[in-house]
Amino acid sequence: MSSVATSEDATLGGMPDAPVPMPRGRRRTEAAMLVFAVALVAFAYANVGFGLKGTLPSGMAEYMLAFIVLLALAHLAVRRLAPWADPLLLPLAATLNGLGIVMMYRLQESGRNGNPGQVITTLSSSATTMQIVYTAIGIGCFVAVLALVREPRVLQRYTYVFGLIALILLALPALLPASISEVQGAKIQIRLGGFTIQPEEFAKLALAVSFAGYLVTKRDVLSLAGRRILGIDLPRARDLGPVVIVWAVSLLLLVFESDIGTSALFMGLFVCMLYIATQRTSWLLIGFALFVAGAFAASKLFGHVGERFQIWLHPFAGQNAFNNAYQLVQGLYGMASGGIFGKGLGGGQPYLTPLVQSDFVVTAFGEELGMTGLMAILLLYGLIVQRGLATSLSVKDPFSKILAGGLAFMLALQVFVIVGGVTRLIPLTGITTPFLSQGGSSLIASWMMIALLMRLSDTARQPPPQPIQDEGMTQVVNLS
Amino acid sequence: MNRAVRRISIAVLVMFVLLLANVNYLQAFEAGSLTNKPGNSRAFAAQFQYQRGEITTADGKVLATSKNVGGVYKYQRVYPLGPEYAPATGFDALYSSTGIEGAENSYLTGNSSNLAVRNVIDMITNKPRKGATVQLTLDSNAQNAAWSALQATGKSGAVVALNPQTGAILALASYPSYDPNQLAVLDGNQLNANDNKLLADPAQPLLNRATDATFPPGSTFKIVTSSADFSQGANPDTVVNAPTSLQLPQSTAQLTNDNGEVCGTGNGKATIITAFTLSCNTAFAGIGMQLGSATLKSQAEKYGMNDPNLKIPSPVAQSNFPLEPDQATTALSAIGQKDDTVTPLQEAMFSAAIANNGTLMKPYLVQQVQAADLSIVDSAAPAALSQPVSPAVAGEVKTMMLSVVNDPTGTAAAFKNAIPGVQIAGKTGTAQNGANNSGLNDAVFTCFASNGNRSMAVGVIIQGGGYGAAAAAPIAVGVLKAYLENG
Repeated sequence: MSSVATSEDATLGGMPDAPVPMPRGRRRTEAAMLVFAVALVAFAYANVGFGLKGTLPSGMAEYMLAFIVLLALAHLAVRRLAPWADPLLLPLAATLNGLGIVMMYRLQESGRNGNPGQVITTLSSSATTMQIVYTAIGIGCFVAVLALVREPRVLQRYTYVFGLIALILLALPALLPASISEVQGAKIQIRLGGFTIQPEEFAKLALAVSFAGYLVTKRDVLSLAGRRILGIDLPRARDLGPVVIVWAVSLLLLVFESDIGTSALFMGLFVCMLYIATQRTSWLLIGFALFVAGAFAASKLFGHVGERFQIWLHPFAGQNAFNNAYQLVQGLYGMASGGIFGKGLGGGQPYLTPLVQSDFVVTAFGEELGMTGLMAILLLYGLIVQRGLATSLSVKDPFSKILAGGLAFMLALQVFVIVGGVTRLIPLTGITTPFLSQGGSSLIASWMMIALLMRLSDTARQPPPQPIQDEGMTQVVNLS
Repeated sequence: MNRAVRRISIAVLVMFVLLLANVNYLQAFEAGSLTNKPGNSRAFAAQFQYQRGEITTADGKVLATSKNVGGVYKYQRVYPLGPEYAPATGFDALYSSTGIEGAENSYLTGNSSNLAVRNVIDMITNKPRKGATVQLTLDSNAQNAAWSALQATGKSGAVVALNPQTGAILALASYPSYDPNQLAVLDGNQLNANDNKLLADPAQPLLNRATDATFPPGSTFKIVTSSADFSQGANPDTVVNAPTSLQLPQSTAQLTNDNGEVCGTGNGKATIITAFTLSCNTAFAGIGMQLGSATLKSQAEKYGMNDPNLKIPSPVAQSNFPLEPDQATTALSAIGQKDDTVTPLQEAMFSAAIANNGTLMKPYLVQQVQAADLSIVDSAAPAALSQPVSPAVAGEVKTMMLSVVNDPTGTAAAFKNAIPGVQIAGKTGTAQNGANNSGLNDAVFTCFASNGNRSMAVGVIIQGGGYGAAAAAPIAVGVLKAYLENG
């Protein structure tokens, strides 16, 4: 539009309005950044081969080709299905996913095929191939989400359906016999044949959608009714209902599935979304207080929760470092041996840390890429979160706002809980590292989350509908 | 609603800053202390990924080398000559290292800052990294002679031989010893089993008696007592009281000579050289009381005793001469009894100082360090440790020590012509031992000799060996012979 000073002249001068500038979709930026991501991953992959044996790794061409084809498909789908989506989300996710595959290959090769190191017996020799298959399924689900959810508000319609799905997914492992659901003392998975599914990874997404839908309809009553005590607006007792229910579910998770990390994640997700919806600090305080009280009670009541605290506080005390704190301490030793610049991919001894491929994969990166590499990976996560929050700020409708903010915060919280846990910033709770840990459920769910964020950012950045025709200049008729 | 999202963004920022700061702290600041935590297997396993440098004798015999065995720990340490050189080499095990393996670890692993530039060049040129070779001062002939003689006695004991002019250690043997290959195994359980077996062995094979254990010096200490006396103006021909039996002051104890023998002509007087040649206790007890404990202590310290900081480069146990409270104990300390204890290395140092005209050279075991590219990165610089006596006094003591071997009445007269054409100077010691001297006497001998080309000082202690002349002197003379006749 013309500036205010000249608008009158323009109108009188009979010049047509300049068309509203089309925001650029920035798909070319995305393509360029994807090339960069592929180059980075290919370099890391070659690095593993040179670090281990001094030659290019044998399966490099096939693995890289598969990776490139998958990313090309994702990019083409975005071009077609979400042309205005944020251009950085896909390359960021692709970089993390690619680095995860590289690390899986590095750990799988340790001690095998004449490579130095110890064989990680908990990691099969086809782990890399499986991780690529999961990546393919993940990108397939990414495209499916973009294709099925053409408009974020469609999801709002299924608020309670998603809530029910989430509860079923969460309850399933607890109800199933331990023989097919227990892993390392926590009942969080379903084993079917050779495959294991961690339903909570998908429950997270369903819950986020369900929370967002619920809060959009109830936010007025949650934010307006209540009394003010000590400068804090307290809600009415009956409005506490949903908070108490989520709190109870997260505590039940803790009790029946021994899964502190996920319960913290759910609580954090809900409180964050509640806060965005109502803008009332009291909800933050109430949610935080409830979680701390619940966690404290659990640490007193249940041995394994209290043990986690002891390990966190005193990993080197007595024989801890050789018993229950062994994994944590080995992870810390690994990161210490990596130092500032790391041992280089293939140069460290990450195989000394038990189950390094799942919860402790970050320590393997810390050991081999050093402080600098690990900080770069953390910044990749930080950028995804930042893109999500920026989407939340710019998107117009409240449902999308709450959902984008919640998803971004959940990712941030998940990274904080697991990276903070393995680096002894907070007590360790076993949750997956998005995109990097071994395992399909987490990877697929992470790609679905990226698809949701891209759909939301597509909505936010989409230009308003263009006028169908130029109606020309308004005629001024003198009626004197 | 955007206000809430902005606040959440700040919370998220704080979370990421905390993570980044913690990673920074962990990997940049705490990394060192984590690496040095006991039980951190990464730190010690890393050194088995590279070929460790070799340890050799001065004449090129390989004492320790690294063999590529594949597996988690790529290189295993091999000690071809095992127990003979174990007191010198020590061992390099999974969790610890001793001896030269421990003291020269940074050169052997190639981590030394002196090797940093070469490591970078090797990395760029893609050469496999290899540690530096440490060449010891040990002479394989002398060491063989010492080790086989000790083995032949079957008694625990040790031999140390020095080059008096430089301080280079030419032989360092301790018996019984252990096979360091048993501690170089890369299987942790096997290592623990082997280690526990060695630790439980009552013969204490892991104890390096040459430098880590002390024994009473007995009559060999008369070298120190004479040195102090001559430094105050006496000479070998000075006549001193030498009764057959001496009543110790403030004590009922009677000090006698060995087997109650008379000293010299039997008139209760003798020259110091006669008393030294016959090893009369009463004469030197008298000299010691006359000098006083402080003078003796000062002289002993000039010979290297009471020094807790001696390193060769492994630390050496301190040889002790404490200040004695009264005349009676001073008398006993003057003849190498009471609280006097010395390492076999110290025994060799007594002779080495006399042989080198009164200047005691600092003993050392590493001749040079050679990087993988054959350049010399470090080599020994002989240095004086102290000047226990003037050259004149050293000459007088030498005369007396020659008399011990050459005079027909000397305690070591049996070795007069042991090495054709070589004059041996020595001093025997037979140290009383155990509670109330109930144990068998320790046999001690210290000596030196030169063939004009090479010279060597030797100290030998055989636990429970009996007479120094009978059990210790033959070993010392054998080592001298092996060294002097092969050079």
